[in-house]
Amino acid sequence: MLPKCPIVPRANGYPIVPGACGFPSPMASDSVSPSSSSDSAYDSAAYQNPNPNPNPSDKPINAIDGQLMSSLVLADSTDSVNHEEGPPSSVNEGDIVDANVLASEESDRTVMVEVDVREEEEEEVQRSEAVVVEERETGGGGGEGEVWRVNSELEVDAPDSPNSSGYAGERGTSSASSACGTGEDDICQVRDGDFVNGVVESQAVWIPGKRHVDEDDASMSWRQRKKHFFILSHSGKPIYSRHGDEHKLAGFSATLQAIISFVENGYADEANNGDRVKLVRAGKHQVVFLVKGPIYLVCISCTEEPFESLRGQLELLYGQMILILTKSVNRCFEKNPKFDMTPLLGGTDVVFSSLIHSFNWNPATFLHAYTCLPLAYPTRQAAGAILQDVADSGVLFAILMCKHKVVSLVGAQKASLHPDDMLLLSNFVMTSESFSPICLPRYNPMAFLYAYVHYLDANTYLMLLTTSSDAFYHLKECRLHIEAVLLKSNVLSEVQRSMLDGGMHVEDVPVDPSPRSGSASPHLGQHSPERVREAYTGTGGPCGLWHFMYRSIYLDQYVSSEFSSPIGTPKQQKRLHRAYQKIYASMHDKGFGPHRTQFRRDENYVLLCWVTQDFELYAAFDPLADKALAIRTCNRVCQWVKDVENEIFLLGASPFSWWGKRIEKCFAEWPVGGLIAGHLRL
Amino acid sequence: MGLSSAATIPSDAVKLCVFDRTRGQREGEEVEKILFFHPPELPLGDQLSVVGLSEGLITFTRIFSPDAACEVIEAERHSHVFYQAEPDIWMVMVVERNRELEAIWRIEALRSILKEVHSLFIMFFGSIRTMLGKESSGSVVRSHLYSFITDYLFDFSSGKKLQLPTFRDSLKERGTVQMLTVGREAAVEIQNNKNSYVFLYCSILNSSGRLCLRLKSLVRVLESCAGSVRCHSLILFHDLLVSTSLYPDDTVNLYTYATMRMSPRALSSSSRSWSYLYRGSTAAHLTTGSVLPTSSSSSEHIHRSRDTSPSGDDRYVIVRPLQQDKWSKGKDGFLVTERWSSDAQTLNSSIPTIWLKQTEEMMYLCAHQHKNVTIILLIPVTSINSVERDIPIVKQQFLENASLKILKLEEKLSKGWGGENAYHVSGYRYLLVDGDRNVSRASPAAKVTTLAKESLVAMCKLREEVDLEKSIMKLDDERCEKDLEVCIRAKNNAWVIARAMRGKELYMVLEKANETLLYASEAMDKFSNRYCNGAFSLD
Repeated sequence: MLPKCPIVPRANGYPIVPGACGFPSPMASDSVSPSSSSDSAYDSAAYQNPNPNPNPSDKPINAIDGQLMSSLVLADSTDSVNHEEGPPSSVNEGDIVDANVLASEESDRTVMVEVDVREEEEEEVQRSEAVVVEERETGGGGGEGEVWRVNSELEVDAPDSPNSSGYAGERGTSSASSACGTGEDDICQVRDGDFVNGVVESQAVWIPGKRHVDEDDASMSWRQRKKHFFILSHSGKPIYSRHGDEHKLAGFSATLQAIISFVENGYADEANNGDRVKLVRAGKHQVVFLVKGPIYLVCISCTEEPFESLRGQLELLYGQMILILTKSVNRCFEKNPKFDMTPLLGGTDVVFSSLIHSFNWNPATFLHAYTCLPLAYPTRQAAGAILQDVADSGVLFAILMCKHKVVSLVGAQKASLHPDDMLLLSNFVMTSESFSPICLPRYNPMAFLYAYVHYLDANTYLMLLTTSSDAFYHLKECRLHIEAVLLKSNVLSEVQRSMLDGGMHVEDVPVDPSPRSGSASPHLGQHSPERVREAYTGTGGPCGLWHFMYRSIYLDQYVSSEFSSPIGTPKQQKRLHRAYQKIYASMHDKGFGPHRTQFRRDENYVLLCWVTQDFELYAAFDPLADKALAIRTCNRVCQWVKDVENEIFLLGASPFSWWGKRIEKCFAEWPVGGLIAGHLRL
Repeated sequence: MGLSSAATIPSDAVKLCVFDRTRGQREGEEVEKILFFHPPELPLGDQLSVVGLSEGLITFTRIFSPDAACEVIEAERHSHVFYQAEPDIWMVMVVERNRELEAIWRIEALRSILKEVHSLFIMFFGSIRTMLGKESSGSVVRSHLYSFITDYLFDFSSGKKLQLPTFRDSLKERGTVQMLTVGREAAVEIQNNKNSYVFLYCSILNSSGRLCLRLKSLVRVLESCAGSVRCHSLILFHDLLVSTSLYPDDTVNLYTYATMRMSPRALSSSSRSWSYLYRGSTAAHLTTGSVLPTSSSSSEHIHRSRDTSPSGDDRYVIVRPLQQDKWSKGKDGFLVTERWSSDAQTLNSSIPTIWLKQTEEMMYLCAHQHKNVTIILLIPVTSINSVERDIPIVKQQFLENASLKILKLEEKLSKGWGGENAYHVSGYRYLLVDGDRNVSRASPAAKVTTLAKESLVAMCKLREEVDLEKSIMKLDDERCEKDLEVCIRAKNNAWVIARAMRGKELYMVLEKANETLLYASEAMDKFSNRYCNGAFSLD
């Protein structure tokens, strides 16, 4: 047995929209303060429902209630809500926490994991920039002031909410029509029927934890889901299924296991090394397999994503599992092949479903790079400096993030953090909140670290990772110190401003090719007055540029432009995401190494991809874009990125040894300090 | 020669089976399902394991994808390629992925082998299902499939190994016809005969179009060889199609067969090939035996597939149209073959018959060869009362009316034709496919071999991507055709380009090209305008 995390569900499932159906979560009790942000298209749909039913006892709510309750089976709610417990008790000393040891001491542990029941992937939630934050600290933490935040992701889509992306405006008109489209992975037939009354019964509000639990492999709706993920044990026992109840899928799980072992045994070579099935293709469907020791992962999808992408997603799913349990779970299988793992992952459905959702929108899931919140260089420096202070006091990593974007991060000497680990960690943290043992699969898959996580505001959170299980109080002090400094130095307000302003807008790509002098370089988000944004309304940036992503190879970071209106709807964004995924896979085919350039024109886009030793650029244009102009625009984008690299990347502030070297190399090669190695020639 | 390109795979590394899902439903009778298995010496248990896995996955995938069941299984060391030949009749090819890099292939290229052998089988014998309907024990089907597929695979054999297409064959397209076009500017012109279904592919050989007229007049003569009943014809020059009066599907099948066994090159097996599609010239040098069930050329007797064949009536005479050296040239210019009889009707007849897919007509096949011009004449079986009496009359008619025209045609064609490298365009390595009409043209194989491995692998992968896009498009059943343009600069600096437009596809590799994208795309446009009538130009 491994540590089981009591779950405190967040109140997110409840539409706390003033005047609509606002009521507090029964589970979150008084420690809950509804905060609002905008993460769910369905929330938005609820808000826009002209006649929202204010009666909490109405059917959809009951249904959710039921599901909420059912998701709590594993959690002793009365205990787990007891936040005053303060720091979790010590479990184990030392760096490596053996899962078995942990298991034996499980009962001592009161690790709080507060589950953020945020959107499920199918909701295709929009990541709106219009965030209205409301956060109250609970008194539950007592004198310690520890915040066990219950973060309702429901948005108050106030008409006057500050929004610079023009994105919220889209939502009002598109939400109804995109509701089906946004759930592209869902089954549209089912949905269409649900739309009759203007309310999608099951989706007007999103459901905490797993959905479609009533389905199994016999249900037609289950079979028609566009993307399934399964985790099973090598004996065929279900561990996780994205759709449907694992227990009801035992037979199906056994079938998957049978396919894997049939191929393994049926095609063994002379040395008796079994073969491994990787992919089965049938029409639009792909069945992708990944075998990780005693753990089998399977994805069944008709989303037309490349095989390599789906396999990468299975790798991340496995990583997420390791993050929660460490690889030492393998030992349990060694002892007992029929070991049942589901209790160990109890309540973590939401972590997985959130990760799976991110496969649809987060480029980090295939770029293996992270992205930073755009910030003025001094602001980021200030944040880095204070994090550095605590890093010297026994903290392995100190990371300040805002949603999935990094504000700053520092690590102890010689410790480096893989972008995939950051993705998995932030996904875990955003869906649960705790001082809890976690494992960074790319750092050390066998060892637990302890993550102290604290939300500084609705989106910004601080993660302090340590090897010491009893460092809670110390980390809390660190946090208080950091928080005070951040407030004083206005970092937090800058962070919030940046969230509202967004980062790079394609509309702002400099049209004038003349080299900019340093002083003329505008800050991001401060649009030069001569630029008439309206001129491009509906057409994106110059020369039909709709969007771009730039990945710096040395920095392990990427920056992507804000979505402009030609790709304003979640459906369009998901399609672009998938197109990027496809061209990434096409460029990075194993064998002879990545291709250099690719130009791809189809009915949806012109995509231009340019890979050099130092960076990768992905740009999407109008399908009718002119080739020569597109290339020229790409060069300008690169130049622009270079001009503002101080603000969009985390540069050189890290003590990571490898990183320092990389940066040195980077700057030695281009004395100008540029990240641009060359020009894409016409 | 550019033909030793295929990877050599030990014969046991390639498995090919044909099975019928409706048979052997009861436990213990699974062996009934198997209609063909290669290699035949594989233990029955292993054969059943392949069929079992295949069938299992067909069932499994139908849970999610009821309309399109399993097409491929990719494992670390094997690829299983599926082809549903007929309802419930599946062909599965298992190819081993050895550690060498040579083992990179395009699934569609492998599947096209399955499609081709099945189409040819149907042309000669009709559908497998119909055959099973006539004789339910399956022994007839098994013996036919056994000799037919084994003869077919012989063309891929090299020693004891089978050479299947790999990434080196990326600029080839099986299942297409190569047209003769002498002038480079020439485009294939389709003429729809007024009152019939006939398509006439006619290559315009020079600007005056005189040769074209000559050709048309010959086709008319051929049509009327059997008096009032209209005959069909197919004219080849070397291994290139000059004209056809058949529908595209039937044209491809007959063309494929003709180039495999009847063209001058096929008859003189020692001659080397320049046809880019020609596979396995080495096959001719081999002694039969390793793959062929029996080496005797006249042994058209029973080839019972061993274990999988239940005891039954063995007195069927199996026709082996794909047998090596099946045809030889007679004194009168007509090609002759030995016994060709598959049923009582035409017993002892040496005039082969084939089925036309489009019209479901059975035709007698006569072939005449003058130097490098091969003419295939198809006479409806229904119009012939007595083979012994009527066919010689038709042949006589043919010689009297067409000989001179053929002579002239051959002369003109030989004079105007540029030889093996006629379709080489310097600087380009290309493949042009017209999917609607099953026509392709490509750089000569010898020129393609000059390309670097990296370029060919990149092209192979790019084609795989396009294949996938096409198949998804097909499933969407949107009649719109894929419109796609991809230009990749590979790591070795070669440009690898694919363009699909209005049902046509153009693939090209430019190795010595300038580094800029605009240069590459201009090179592509230039090619399109000059050799494809601008079919791939955007405007």
